[in-house]
Amino acid sequence: MSAGVSVTAIPAQTRGWQRDLIGISVILIAALAGYFLFPNNLALLTRMIAIMLLVLSLDLVTGYCGVATLGHAALFGSGAYAAGIAAAHFGITEPITMIAIGAIGGALAGLISGVVILRGHGLAQLVLSIAIIHLFHEAANKASEYTGGSDGLSGISPDPILGVFEFDLWGRTAYVFGIVLLLLVFILLRILVRSPFGMLCRGIRQDPVRVSAMGASVKLTLIKMYAISGLVAGVGGAFNAVSTQVVGLDSLSFTNSAEALVMLVLGGVGSLYGALIGTIAFIWIEDLVSAANPFHWLTIVGALLIAVVLFAPKGLYGTAATFVERYRRGAK
Amino acid sequence: MQTFFSIGVDALAYGMILFVISIGLSVTMGLMRVINLAHGAFAMIGGYIASYAARDLGLGYGLAIVIAVLGTIIIAVPLERFLYRRIYGAPELTQVLMTIGITFCVIGLANYVFGPTLKTIPLPAGLQGPVDIGFRTIAAHKLFAIGCGVVVALGLWYLIERTSFGVKLRASVDNTAMAAALGVRTKIVYAASFALAVGLAAFGGVIGAELLPVEPYYALRYMVTFLVVVSVGGAGSIPGALIACLLLGAIDTTGRYLVPEYGEFFFYLAVIAIVWVFPRGLMGRAK
Amino acid sequence: MKKLILAVAASILMSASAYAEVIKIGVVGPFSGPFAIQGKNFKAGIDAYIATHGDKVGENTIEILYRDVPQADPAQAKALAQELVVKEGVQYLAGFYFTPDAMAVTPLLKQANVPMVIMNAATSAIVTKSPLVVRTSFTTWQTSAPMAKIARERGVEKAITVVSDYGPGVDAENAFKTTFEKEGGKVVESIRMPLSTNDFSPVMQRVRNSGAQAVFAFLPSGPTTLGFVKAYNENGLKQAGIQFLAPGDLTQESDLPAIGDAGLGILTTFHYSLAHNSPENKAFVAAAQKAIGNPAELSFPSVGAYDGMYVISKMIEATGGKQDAQKAVDAVKGLTWESPRGPVSIDPETRHITQNIYLREVSKGADGVYFNKEIKTFEKQPDPGLAAAK
Repeated sequence: MSAGVSVTAIPAQTRGWQRDLIGISVILIAALAGYFLFPNNLALLTRMIAIMLLVLSLDLVTGYCGVATLGHAALFGSGAYAAGIAAAHFGITEPITMIAIGAIGGALAGLISGVVILRGHGLAQLVLSIAIIHLFHEAANKASEYTGGSDGLSGISPDPILGVFEFDLWGRTAYVFGIVLLLLVFILLRILVRSPFGMLCRGIRQDPVRVSAMGASVKLTLIKMYAISGLVAGVGGAFNAVSTQVVGLDSLSFTNSAEALVMLVLGGVGSLYGALIGTIAFIWIEDLVSAANPFHWLTIVGALLIAVVLFAPKGLYGTAATFVERYRRGAK
Repeated sequence: MQTFFSIGVDALAYGMILFVISIGLSVTMGLMRVINLAHGAFAMIGGYIASYAARDLGLGYGLAIVIAVLGTIIIAVPLERFLYRRIYGAPELTQVLMTIGITFCVIGLANYVFGPTLKTIPLPAGLQGPVDIGFRTIAAHKLFAIGCGVVVALGLWYLIERTSFGVKLRASVDNTAMAAALGVRTKIVYAASFALAVGLAAFGGVIGAELLPVEPYYALRYMVTFLVVVSVGGAGSIPGALIACLLLGAIDTTGRYLVPEYGEFFFYLAVIAIVWVFPRGLMGRAK
Repeated sequence: MKKLILAVAASILMSASAYAEVIKIGVVGPFSGPFAIQGKNFKAGIDAYIATHGDKVGENTIEILYRDVPQADPAQAKALAQELVVKEGVQYLAGFYFTPDAMAVTPLLKQANVPMVIMNAATSAIVTKSPLVVRTSFTTWQTSAPMAKIARERGVEKAITVVSDYGPGVDAENAFKTTFEKEGGKVVESIRMPLSTNDFSPVMQRVRNSGAQAVFAFLPSGPTTLGFVKAYNENGLKQAGIQFLAPGDLTQESDLPAIGDAGLGILTTFHYSLAHNSPENKAFVAAAQKAIGNPAELSFPSVGAYDGMYVISKMIEATGGKQDAQKAVDAVKGLTWESPRGPVSIDPETRHITQNIYLREVSKGADGVYFNKEIKTFEKQPDPGLAAAK
């Protein structure tokens, strides 16, 4: 096969960029397909985008740095509340500004979480992350003056985007806005994980001792990554606040964090595509099964998760990638 | 002073109940290295069986406990054989996914079979009602739970540190291949310790049912608490788990007495403080 | 071939005409997860209504679509409501167990031209968020305030409030405290406990040390109420004669068998007891128990759902099945009828239900079944919560 030969002749770096171009166009095509094939499901798809940003952000610390956390929604929720409070109490209703405020809120929460969580190792780390999410949740519950407490923060009414595109009942504007955000974040993250900094993080995941022997500060690097991760999760949270016009305590909940982790592992840890695919698969199945049987759908979702571990132990994307790899080798 | 003692008794009872339910998780997580998020589900299954035996069949409390423990083990054996055996030594996150899946299934099935109402396990006359212990009254079943906690702690410590099974278990965990080469049948050792962990979960689920009532969502509702006490203690350490349960029980109870409004802050800040000082848990072994 | 085209055309025509007659109602509630039993009660109430009144209103057939929001999750509630409106074409939204879920959906109603009938969510302010909201359940203020009067009547001078630290808990605390102090009593202490509290002994110690004659409590229905009531008994508060007062959420019928004898004598105020003595209620309970399967699972959300269906059927009658949200809501303003819970009406101004609030005592029947025995009636209570918020 001459094509195969020519592909292998290209240096690995360039080939990676080619693959990214293909990846991004696949996302674009999927986004367009979603818009035209499911015009009545845009609310669901929009929620999916917000969660995708959360799962991508989780992948940065879990997949690329090897930090196990069950408290990642703290970053997402902080972004959501930051944007929501800015809109509801301070009259900042310009959507792009709201997203920026959310990103800053998320980054701050990421810094705090990072400093605390990175203190522990293994199980202790997991427990610190659980403590963090409960503290954030309780703090939001207590500050009901600003957050609306358990009743949720309502009264968020974002302006039309760029003063032109209004948020409508069908959720078209929100969906397109979300896709644009997602693509931007995705491209930036691809650059990030390829950068020397991203490589350093992967190095830490594989062997922290060696990395520190090389003279790099493990902790500082991870905290930086945590802040970046917070930025991404904050964008997701803020986008959720903008598109649903409400923020609830659930956005800061342990359940939300655990679900994000499940989606990530389902898709495949350590790959941005895995994060996207895991989110789509989980939310889509959940929606399908819970609409078909709102009373007993949990059993089916549970059985599917078990099946994934048994038959696709590297996650959906990881296993598919292995298959493709094997096929390619076979074809040569 | 009286208040101090009375809070102390509450703290002891709460801590001991936590210990009985969580210690099985310490065995799976610390000794077998499986993050078993389905631990609460097994405790719940124990509670359901005991409730069925004692309330619907009218059997005695003691008998109900035995049936619950055995019944839960019987249910767990095929799960170990076909599901858990696949994730021994797998990455932690894979274990999380699998055990969460199992938990979802158990919740769904419990909801389907038993319905969403609370199930109680009727106590024998001797354990009902308050007992006067001089300066205050305390529920008789709490005293019983404290006793159970002490017995379980001693028994487990003896089993793991002093018997040949304990030696084999520790050997299998530290180096499976080497232990197998020396003639330890590691698969059976693993299965037996899994059964032990599940049996303890069921026992705890029954004993603790007065405080943590049995209902389908039990499996997830208290999971975080179990995970926290086991990890703070240092997974796999019996004394560590005991100290952690008593300490966190005391912190929780005192917090809820002194500053109920901020009870949640109090508890989790304490958890962070402890882990900050002991990053591998109170009695955790460095890997 | 021609035949085939004809058949296809005919079936399309038929389905189109059938569509015009089917009126879809989207019900959002917790059908799985920790509050599954409350969602199940929604369904039981709705099924009971259909079983007793049929699924036809005039020419139109009603069809119910259920959507699950297991725990309070406003974003998901909104996405599901949006999907129900846009994709399924529902003409009515109903259900809503949690306040934040209902709040999140209210901004959609106007654009969607859909009325919302709240079958549970009990925070007063929801009805002010949109003129298209009607509520057939209760508010925490409505059910809690009368208890303060009862306490004063029974000679309680000093009381302590103990509530779960979240919206409805704070509502209950405010309702009791405001009314109790207006009536000349004194609330010596107000304790708010985190929702995740499992062991209530320390709280009970505090109640004891406060020197109050009565404790007013609010916790969400479900597992924790069991531990709370048990802790009340086991810490000797009952023997010490400290009266236990609460709104009826604490003694919902589905929790009573688990609480058992420990609950006997607890006084609660609420809008509905399954044991309410009226022919309407007997018929309703029979139908709802059949619908839910296990009679022990039936509880108060079912009656909110049943009456919600009644209100929706009146809306459909008034609009002749055409989608006109404002007309539908206007038609039920001031509507008066005999509910299983007693005489009720929709307040034209607030669109909230005006109803009797009953004082009940947990009792044990001759057949060993625990029930809430009604011993006093406060007639035609509106919602005091909105006025208090102003």
